Amino acid sequence: MTLNWEGLDISILGPACVAGLIVLSTHVPLGKQVLSRGIIFIDLAIAQIAGLGVILAQYLGIDEHGYAVQIAAAAAALAGAGLLSWTDRRWPEYQEPLIGTLFVLAATGGLLLLANNPQGGEHLKDLLVGQILWVSYPQLIPAALLSVVLLGFMWLRRGRLAGLVFYGLFALAITASVQLVGVYLVFASLIVPALATAGMRGRGRLTAAYVIGALGYVLGLVLSAVLDLPSGALIVWTLAGCALLAQLVPAVRRSHPAHDAPEAVFDTVA
Amino acid sequence: MKLFAIPTLLLTAALVSSPAQAKMKVFACEPEWGSLVHELAGDKVDVNVGTSALQDVHVIEAKPSLIAQVRAADLVVCTGAELEVGWLPMLIRQSGNAKVAPGAPGSFMAASQVKLLEKPTALDRANGDVHPDGNPHINLDPRRIYVVAKALDARLAQLDPANAAAYQQRLADFNTRWLAAMNKWKAEAAPLRGRKVVVHHISWVYLWDWLGMDQIGALEPKPGVPPTAAHMSSLIATTKSNNTLAIVRAAYQDTKPADWLSDRTGVPAVTLPYTVGGDAQSKDLFGMFDSTIAKLLGASQSGAAK
Repeated sequence: MTLNWEGLDISILGPACVAGLIVLSTHVPLGKQVLSRGIIFIDLAIAQIAGLGVILAQYLGIDEHGYAVQIAAAAAALAGAGLLSWTDRRWPEYQEPLIGTLFVLAATGGLLLLANNPQGGEHLKDLLVGQILWVSYPQLIPAALLSVVLLGFMWLRRGRLAGLVFYGLFALAITASVQLVGVYLVFASLIVPALATAGMRGRGRLTAAYVIGALGYVLGLVLSAVLDLPSGALIVWTLAGCALLAQLVPAVRRSHPAHDAPEAVFDTVA
Repeated sequence: MKLFAIPTLLLTAALVSSPAQAKMKVFACEPEWGSLVHELAGDKVDVNVGTSALQDVHVIEAKPSLIAQVRAADLVVCTGAELEVGWLPMLIRQSGNAKVAPGAPGSFMAASQVKLLEKPTALDRANGDVHPDGNPHINLDPRRIYVVAKALDARLAQLDPANAAAYQQRLADFNTRWLAAMNKWKAEAAPLRGRKVVVHHISWVYLWDWLGMDQIGALEPKPGVPPTAAHMSSLIATTKSNNTLAIVRAAYQDTKPADWLSDRTGVPAVTLPYTVGGDAQSKDLFGMFDSTIAKLLGASQSGAAK
């Protein structure tokens, strides 16, 4: 494999890098909550519901460009979040399977609606597979403003987000980030830094998670330029790589709780 | 005075000759245009090709090198007519290269050079996957490639006048070989005239138009949306009752739908290269049409043997 130095250009990688950091700013603290609630696939479900909202909006004849689409996506995501917050109160023990069911319903519901709207398919893809390299600075301004508002809100509530507030914030953050960087990177940004620092507590955990996330994005972008590989996919791998390497740092690893012996799947002894 | 004369002379020589030494850089969106640029310009230009035959040109994975290549390009050669609408506008915007912006001399759209088929008279969403400019898949018609070659050659000469004579000579050479090949293909493909085909997606109209073949159905009339059961059952009936030659798919497409229909109708499924690099034989535009016609003739022989 030949190394490719011409892609290593700050004006090419810069906007993508800033987009990654904006996404990380909200997703690292949200990811901590997602992990502790054990509902890791909620981002896929919310993104899919936002996509369904866009298809529905087109179906009803709303213009496919501009803010109307964003409002439709956010409204659908918030409605989905409301539904999930209600099921969380009503059947907390079934929240994860309900999220999964909602995900497949939203995805296939989109296909059913598109059967009569032949041009909608491309827009569904546009919404779900944002490509981090196509991001431009002007596009980042609304996302950055939204992140500041969301972070300010989390700070005011001192990180304690319950029920509807958590689901609502989460829906808005995901709807914005999926369009910027795509669903794979959103999932990785949420889960990987939070997972890598699962054993730590307090402010140190947040800092470590941010460092892992930022290193993952920067390393991924640089390597994708040098190795000439698709950026989004490679960043997912460098995020995971940074998370693994972080386990070599005693402070990250130290406070992992000792695991009990795994439970037997089949109770053969008894 | 003499002391300065030699360096000045060398400097002047370097300045004058540097445009000729710095090769023009061309970015081609698809392999067929990369191959055509190679035919017309040879080693006078450096060509980068953005997509391969084994990927769907409607979507690409964004790599930093693509942006860098477009940034450095003096000329971008693409199909146009909305074929690359999902990524080319973003790529050009991110490159910030005004030389290749839409409408600039460095932007060459092949589909704008020829008459397009399936141009809708009225834009109506009910008609399915409508490209407002017409069907963009012109690379499968040698007659249109002939027209595109002439326009592309003029553009190369306009942007790189120092090599204009070389481009003109190469065009004349290409035209001679291309017209001879077209005559050969036409003769070989005579048994295919009037035969009927079912396609995976409607990207072959120009090939059928050239060969005088009829497309009687499509497996995936709307891209990205699975076909309905009613559509499939009527497609089976149409395929069976029309003495269909083959079910045609491109090298980059999933093999399952065409195999499914082939199993139910006994009509052979044929994978055509679709563009340069689509199979081992399709090393250039000539090889691509050689292989396409050979494979269609192969299907007609295997059909006759049954």
